[in-house]
Amino acid sequence: MSNIAIRNLVKRYGAIQVLHGIDIDMQPGQFTVLVGPSGCGKSTTLRMIAGLESVSSGEIIIGDRVVNDLRPKDRGIAMVFQNYALYPAKTVYQNMAFSLKLARVPADEIDKRVRDVADILELHELLERKPGALSGGQRQRVAMGRAIVRNPEVFLFDEPLSNLDAKLRGQMRAEIKLLHQRLKNTIVYVTHDQVEAMTLADQIVVMRGGVIEQQGTPDEIFHDPANEFVAGFMGSPPMNIADAVVDKGGIRMGESVLACQIPSGVAEGDSLRFGMRPDDIHLCDGSVVPGVRSRVIVDLVEQLGTEKLVHFKLDGVPVIGKADGRAVIQAGDSVEMAFDTEQAFFFNPDNGGRIR
Amino acid sequence: MILKLLRQATPYWFLLPGLFILGTLLSVPLYKVIEYSLYDNVIIEPDPTFVGLQNYADMLGDSGYWSALFNTAVFTIGSVVGHLLVGTILAMLVNADIHPKARTVFRSLLILPWIFTAVVVALNWQLLLNPFGVVNYALQSIGLVSEPLDWLGDPDLAMWSLLIISTWRGYPFIMVSFLSGLQSIPSELYEAADIDGANFFHKFWHVTVPQLKPVIYGVALLDLIWTFQLFPLVWLTTGGGPGRSTEVLSTLTYRLAFVDFEFSRASTAAVTILGISAIFTMLYLINESRNRT
Amino acid sequence: MKPKMKGLVASVLLALGSSQAHAATQIEWLQWFAAEQNADFYDTIVEEFEAANPDITVKLVTQPFGKVRESIVTNRAIGVGSDVLGLNMPWTSEFLDMKILEPLDEYLARDDKGFEVDRLVQAPIGKINGSTWMVPLNAFPFVMHVNRGLLQKAGFDKAPENWEELKSMAIAISALEDGTSGIGMPFSSQPPANGPILTFLPLLYTAGGRIVDGIEPDFDNPDVVKTLTFLQELNAAGALAPGAASRTGGVDLEEFIAGRTGFLISPAVHARAIVARNPELEYELVRVPVLNKEAYRVHGWELGMAADSKHKEEAWKFISFLMSGDVNGRMAAAASALPGNLDALGEDSGEDPIFTAQRNILENDESVEELRQAPKTVASWSVMTEEIQSMLAGDQTPQQAASRVQARWLELLN
Repeated sequence: MSNIAIRNLVKRYGAIQVLHGIDIDMQPGQFTVLVGPSGCGKSTTLRMIAGLESVSSGEIIIGDRVVNDLRPKDRGIAMVFQNYALYPAKTVYQNMAFSLKLARVPADEIDKRVRDVADILELHELLERKPGALSGGQRQRVAMGRAIVRNPEVFLFDEPLSNLDAKLRGQMRAEIKLLHQRLKNTIVYVTHDQVEAMTLADQIVVMRGGVIEQQGTPDEIFHDPANEFVAGFMGSPPMNIADAVVDKGGIRMGESVLACQIPSGVAEGDSLRFGMRPDDIHLCDGSVVPGVRSRVIVDLVEQLGTEKLVHFKLDGVPVIGKADGRAVIQAGDSVEMAFDTEQAFFFNPDNGGRIR
Repeated sequence: MILKLLRQATPYWFLLPGLFILGTLLSVPLYKVIEYSLYDNVIIEPDPTFVGLQNYADMLGDSGYWSALFNTAVFTIGSVVGHLLVGTILAMLVNADIHPKARTVFRSLLILPWIFTAVVVALNWQLLLNPFGVVNYALQSIGLVSEPLDWLGDPDLAMWSLLIISTWRGYPFIMVSFLSGLQSIPSELYEAADIDGANFFHKFWHVTVPQLKPVIYGVALLDLIWTFQLFPLVWLTTGGGPGRSTEVLSTLTYRLAFVDFEFSRASTAAVTILGISAIFTMLYLINESRNRT
Repeated sequence: MKPKMKGLVASVLLALGSSQAHAATQIEWLQWFAAEQNADFYDTIVEEFEAANPDITVKLVTQPFGKVRESIVTNRAIGVGSDVLGLNMPWTSEFLDMKILEPLDEYLARDDKGFEVDRLVQAPIGKINGSTWMVPLNAFPFVMHVNRGLLQKAGFDKAPENWEELKSMAIAISALEDGTSGIGMPFSSQPPANGPILTFLPLLYTAGGRIVDGIEPDFDNPDVVKTLTFLQELNAAGALAPGAASRTGGVDLEEFIAGRTGFLISPAVHARAIVARNPELEYELVRVPVLNKEAYRVHGWELGMAADSKHKEEAWKFISFLMSGDVNGRMAAAASALPGNLDALGEDSGEDPIFTAQRNILENDESVEELRQAPKTVASWSVMTEEIQSMLAGDQTPQQAASRVQARWLELLN
């Protein structure tokens, strides 16, 4: 188990700079997820930690060593690739044993370690098969087995679940989490899926355009986003965000006015961006719900089971709110929605920064 | 009913001219050569006599035939090994991650030996390997040899020179075949191997070779079939000499037919080439059908 | 009727009419001459002949030299042989074995031909099996080409006249500097592997030697051994260009043109290429250095007639036309050769020393040609080439080489 420290890391391809000096600290045994839209630099960062990409400037420290110039095999890492990257001509056993053989580990120890890992991952039935004869989930498990067998300081995962179907993805996600609890290795995990990030991470690093937008615990990221991008990126369905103007005792969107606590530092007449998660907009169906009420026409209802998503427009701006799964409601209905303005977020319309 | 049959037969009518031409162009000469090999001195004699397998018996007792067969084996195997080695190395080099324009230039240049006709190749190499040629000049200036070597005229060197020429001439086919194979290998496999601690040779052996394996066997067999009956390159560079040190079955056949006018003996030698080529071809076809399933 | 159609019908009618009127006989002339140079000239000659003989048309069939020998044999085997054949003397005995050629004695005895038999270069019309089989369209004496520049550098002011002089001068030229050699010997196995007949035979003839006795191989005689020994001495003394065993006739010529060899034994016809390609060369053409006999190997392009031709009279008419003084002279000029009919030689103006030298050789020295009657000639060169290679490599003595050639040559005949 090692800590990882990334100091002012920069990556350039010729004249194009894709990482603009990022800093991340990961504690020993911590599960860190790098998340962001494609092209944000998360995979590049991971590949630089692995040693598959060179470092343009800055430092990567694993344990107490600067590993910038170490070869991948000398960094004490193991990696699980998006497409698994299993050796097609080798059996599952040989795939897992390969790195140990190259490291000249005695044969009986290789055998022991491979079989131990096979037990953990329930692979012993498959040891003599070739990757071509395995299902996607099985290949994923072999890829993890190949990483575990090396007993590395650090595990690197590069979008490992993106090739699996939704059901399997949920199952594998849980397995990875369990595995982490059991092995307690330091893990760096790259994904573009915010659900994976929320469910797996001890620490989330949200990236965009080669810079870090925010890093913190899932709670901090979700409930206390640093800016409009993070707020919009995390959460499904996403936060409702719209242009608004500060009004007396609230904010005004077009003709509608919502009474709410105005953050300090803005004055009446200022423009800002107003955000509220769907979880905080509720159908008034008789039960007591907090918040400011407004009557709207329902455009669309999505049944998710325990709850329903209610699409409507507030002065022309599309908004998503929620209703109980048993609520009787359909498109075209005129209903009252309650906006829990205690939970509202305000952002600077120019730079997206949070206004508190 | 009949109409339906006729309609089903339509595609075969279109095939007929092609089949007819192929059939006559292939089967008639094939049959003739086999027939000639059973006669005594055809073409020259207006009235040749049937001698059965006598020509074959004579050939098996002829040391010239055996030495040509041996030379053919050396030339064929040597060439194929040379093609595979050079072709693989160059395929990997031109697959390397360099500037795309430079890569295109290298790929185009390296394919050139394949485009030249055998005559051009033979002439160029004769000039290069001449005692006063560039090769000897270079070797002498770096002090590797003191006297110019007669590459194509020294019985101890001629076969080696021929192998070098044949390798130069034939590697592009392997290179091109392997290049497409290499390009289909996902780069993640090499990265995984990097992380597993593999060096260059480990990666070559454990990633590249297994991925190319289906290509390698087929391509090597095809190359074997072509090289086995290769005629112009040998005939135009050494002519089978000096002495008969580079005489292969194809040049022996030609010599028997058109230098000695021994058409029956030439046909006999040609039939043995046919037989051996047929075996290789069969292996190739078996391999192909296995790959397809 | 549209004008186009009218024209078509008219021309078809015309063609029908003309073929009925003349019923011209077509003869075929297979040769490589037009492939060498001046291709158009041969069309002109054919047109000229057809104009004079409206009842005969000549179809010119041109192939590269290397193909003609095969074509004559294989075309005849399937019954599509030509009537008039361009011939190379070394092919003769093979063709006689296969009964391809028509004896010409009866035709030559006629009075209505356009040339005198005793004014032809004699060697090609010498009788084999009691008959004459070909006439010489032109003739190339084998000569020695000399690079006078190298000769002077080596301290000599006169081309060698005998073997001793040739040897000492060649040694001196080889010793001059890196990259120059006295003389080249093209003994490559590469087809046609004809090095021995290019260089060895011309030397042998100046020793009065021969390689056949009548129509039997006679290679292991003292004159042959003497000549082989001379080659070996040249080699041992470093007078030869290195790499004889891979040197082709073509390379030998190129090296001389490039000024890297002092002497080149080859047909006189090469003089034109040498002078044209390297005008800087101080060039001289001389007879091949003599041991004891002023004799030259004669080579040339010959004409023969196919034994199974159906139009022998017409074929002979065409041959007679080609041999007649004026035509033969122009044919020779087109090939940069000397005419086979000496009446076509014309006057010597004395302005061209190259021409004068050849003329002197042709008119005064003995012409020798024995490849016509040598059996399995082409195959025998390969044997000579291989055994001489081995001798020069030091693997056998001249006597052994001569014996081996003789033995292998006899083996070819069985």
